[in-house]
Amino acid sequence: MSAPIVLGLRLFLGLTLYLFLGWVLLTIWRDIRQQGKLLAEKKIPGINLTIKIGEKYSQNHFSTQSELLLGRDPHCDIPLPDETVSVRHARLSYHHAQWWIEDLGSTNGTQLNKEHISIPTVVINGDQIECGKAAVTISLGIEPSHPKTQKIPKMEI
Amino acid sequence: MVKNIESRLFMLAALFLAIYSVILTLSPSVRERSWDVAYLWQHWVGFLLWSAVFAYAYKEFKREFSESDPFLLPIAALLTGWGLLTIWRLSPLFGFRQSLWMAGIVFAISFSLRFKLDLELFRRYKYLILAGGLLLTFLTLILGSNPAGTGPRLWLGCCGLYFQPSEPLKLLLVGYLAAYLADRLPARDRLIPLLLPTILVAGLALLLLIVQRDLGTASIFIILYATIVFLAIGRRRVLLISGGILLLAGLIGYFFIELIQIRVDAWINPWLDPSGRSYQIIQSLLAIANGGIAGRGPGLGSPGLVPIPHSDFIFTAIAEEMGLVGVIGLLALFGFLISRGIRIALLAPGRYERLLAAGITAYFSIQSLMIIGGNLRVLPLTGVTLPFVSYGGSSLLTSFIGLWALLKISDQSLDEPAPLLKPIPYYIFSATFALGLVVISLVTGWWIIFRGSDLLTRTDNARRSISDRYVHRGDLLDRNNSPINVSQGETGNLTRYYLVPELAPITGYTHNIYGQAGLEATLDEYLRGLRGNPASLIWWDRLLYGTPPPGLDIRLSIDLSLQETADNLLGSHKGGLVLMNANTGELLVVVSQPSFDPNNLDEIGTELAIDKNAPLINRVTQGQYNPENTISLFSQAILGSDSPSTSAQKMDLYQSLGFDNQPQIRIPVAEVTAGELGNVSPLQMALAAAIFSNNGERPTPRIAMGLNTPMQGWVVLPALGEPVHVLAPNTAHETAQTLAGDKLYWSFTSEPGGDPAITWYLAGTLPEWKGTPLILVVLLEENNPKLAARIGEKLLDSAIGP
Repeated sequence: MSAPIVLGLRLFLGLTLYLFLGWVLLTIWRDIRQQGKLLAEKKIPGINLTIKIGEKYSQNHFSTQSELLLGRDPHCDIPLPDETVSVRHARLSYHHAQWWIEDLGSTNGTQLNKEHISIPTVVINGDQIECGKAAVTISLGIEPSHPKTQKIPKMEI
Repeated sequence: MVKNIESRLFMLAALFLAIYSVILTLSPSVRERSWDVAYLWQHWVGFLLWSAVFAYAYKEFKREFSESDPFLLPIAALLTGWGLLTIWRLSPLFGFRQSLWMAGIVFAISFSLRFKLDLELFRRYKYLILAGGLLLTFLTLILGSNPAGTGPRLWLGCCGLYFQPSEPLKLLLVGYLAAYLADRLPARDRLIPLLLPTILVAGLALLLLIVQRDLGTASIFIILYATIVFLAIGRRRVLLISGGILLLAGLIGYFFIELIQIRVDAWINPWLDPSGRSYQIIQSLLAIANGGIAGRGPGLGSPGLVPIPHSDFIFTAIAEEMGLVGVIGLLALFGFLISRGIRIALLAPGRYERLLAAGITAYFSIQSLMIIGGNLRVLPLTGVTLPFVSYGGSSLLTSFIGLWALLKISDQSLDEPAPLLKPIPYYIFSATFALGLVVISLVTGWWIIFRGSDLLTRTDNARRSISDRYVHRGDLLDRNNSPINVSQGETGNLTRYYLVPELAPITGYTHNIYGQAGLEATLDEYLRGLRGNPASLIWWDRLLYGTPPPGLDIRLSIDLSLQETADNLLGSHKGGLVLMNANTGELLVVVSQPSFDPNNLDEIGTELAIDKNAPLINRVTQGQYNPENTISLFSQAILGSDSPSTSAQKMDLYQSLGFDNQPQIRIPVAEVTAGELGNVSPLQMALAAAIFSNNGERPTPRIAMGLNTPMQGWVVLPALGEPVHVLAPNTAHETAQTLAGDKLYWSFTSEPGGDPAITWYLAGTLPEWKGTPLILVVLLEENNPKLAARIGEKLLDSAIGP
């Protein structure tokens, strides 16, 4: 009888349909994974920030994160402990192969090389950002020079 | 790597369609269960054309649109091929036409890639192109025709080629809106001044469609307009306002346009008028239910029973032959198509391209949800097509132009998509579509799994009479295995023959138009093989063939030789006669006059139903007659007085005689309202009279005695009730003796007095009788005690005589 043969073919038919769908799903999933990998492998050039507040406060920060939050809040990536700095003052972010500075609606505004910024602006090596009275100097693509640990000279008693 | 995916998907789609075609070729041999049949070959033309034209399209698109989305073209190709083969399966003529349309359209679009048409062209000349579209649609008002001959005249046609301008008009509207809104946004104006030109244009198109009575397209127009404006502007107000307009338009249409009223009524309550207004939707649900989970297989269902299966109801046809499994596959294909479309919109390089891609995607998704929802009774039915799948050149052309635009936009998409101000409308749109797909799959499952068996046993399911032509229906035999009703003929052409037409009011008939009656109706499940066969066999046959297994023969208690004598005795006198074994309740003879010949039901069916003599009524079990003075006979024996003196006594008497209850037997009987005393059927009378010949006991009647099962041979069909003790055996004997006098049996003839005049004759064997105890009841619908007595005596003589 032909019916069992046709039943087998019908099974095969359903299988092909789902194979098609499965293949679509598989490639979409692979695509997503590949894109994820690509993004994960994207190297962010390090950014080095030298912070100066008045005369007393001076600090160095090095980061390879793609987003840095600047503000008075101690939870910020770059804390700027000064009254003239807003809680969340500005954001440095890396996209389109550039570092960008963006003011987050701070009270005293953000200045880039002495000029007020109102839209996200590209920063380059040596730029100076001022958040209130805090001054941040940017150096890009340079590993911070760790001063070599000095050997303690033998003490003679 | 990207193009590798595409070619592999094409191979899989081709494999799917090839297997489909092979099954379709073999399907006649499965239906007729034999290798010696006429196989179907024509649809291979469609398959070959599909392969050729899409191979060319693949090559051209690969060259010209090398960066485009790799999934869209194979998905569209699979949908088109699936639809094409389904159309071939439904009607080779339409299949052939659709193949030519498909080949022409796909070839033309692939070839036109060489000219590198730019979407900017449309943006610049949007008003001109839209005006052209509107003009074409307007022309249908004057020159319009309908390929089917009747109905709305939506087509422009010449020389056998018909084109429906309202199909591409939808796409033109999408393009116009995208171009206009992309130029004006972001909106600084208020909403109304911004939208005024679009409202004017869309309103003009809408008016045209409404005048043309192309209401499905009109409703799609409103929804499409609202969706695109919402996607562009992102204010929820747009959705609310257009929802209100749609509702208002629907209400106005409901009260002023008959077609809308029919569609909406059929949607809200289809069960009221299943053979009229809601015929389509009920037949659609029946087909989906018949598909079940696995589907009947290509070429093995009966989707042709649904009107216009190749266009409006192609989803139903696919659901019947591919089942829930196929439906979910189909919905997944649409899901992928739409999700890729939204992705292309989001990655589009500019506002215009983004809105255009989103609008085309919205067009695909809205139209597919609307028509599938309509087929499933989730939404009212709108006569729109299922993109890529349905029959129709205009629809296919529109779908492929939309696909071309999507591929073009995806080919242009850069690394950096245009900024998107308000992404929320896109989320809402995607979520709504996904929800729609989920609802559709759930509803399909609901009709198949929860309502399937209810739907399939409906009498307006023509698949039952179709399967009767392919699967042997059980025979009805008399007590000596002489055939009464039999099915004979070749598989695919089995016919029911009624060898004893005189028994027609009792055994009934089974017919594709007039349904079933009598024993053919009450014993249908056995005769059809759905009861008495092993469950595994029923399941297996349904999976293989979509039919029940061969039916079981049933042996009746009727004695054909006595039956013939009784038929001759009663002649053409109107009335009924029943001869019964007083002890076991087996009905040996049942006569109901006038009768009819069920072999001629095709010709006489309509007259029978309105015949004043009511030949369809089985007078013995369904007739209701005044018991007249037979009551005094029973009253004397049971109560000791000529008639019951109080109504409570009367109630008791009727109760003990069983007159207040329907007899429990596998044959249609007259309904008796409990507690209401009135007329009785001859069968009830015979059961009551049996107490005088059966030691005071009232037996349970039986007519279906045995069942010929495939595993155990003949098995007994037990009686449906228990005998009831009514009278002390002595009293019963005394009454019988008094009535008998010097004869071998007792008898009683009523004195006709009522109006209409009837005559009862009751008789039965005496307790001393050593043979089969018998009870006879003759009823004449005339005042003729002498004739009644003569018929009764002659029949009893031949029954108890040597």
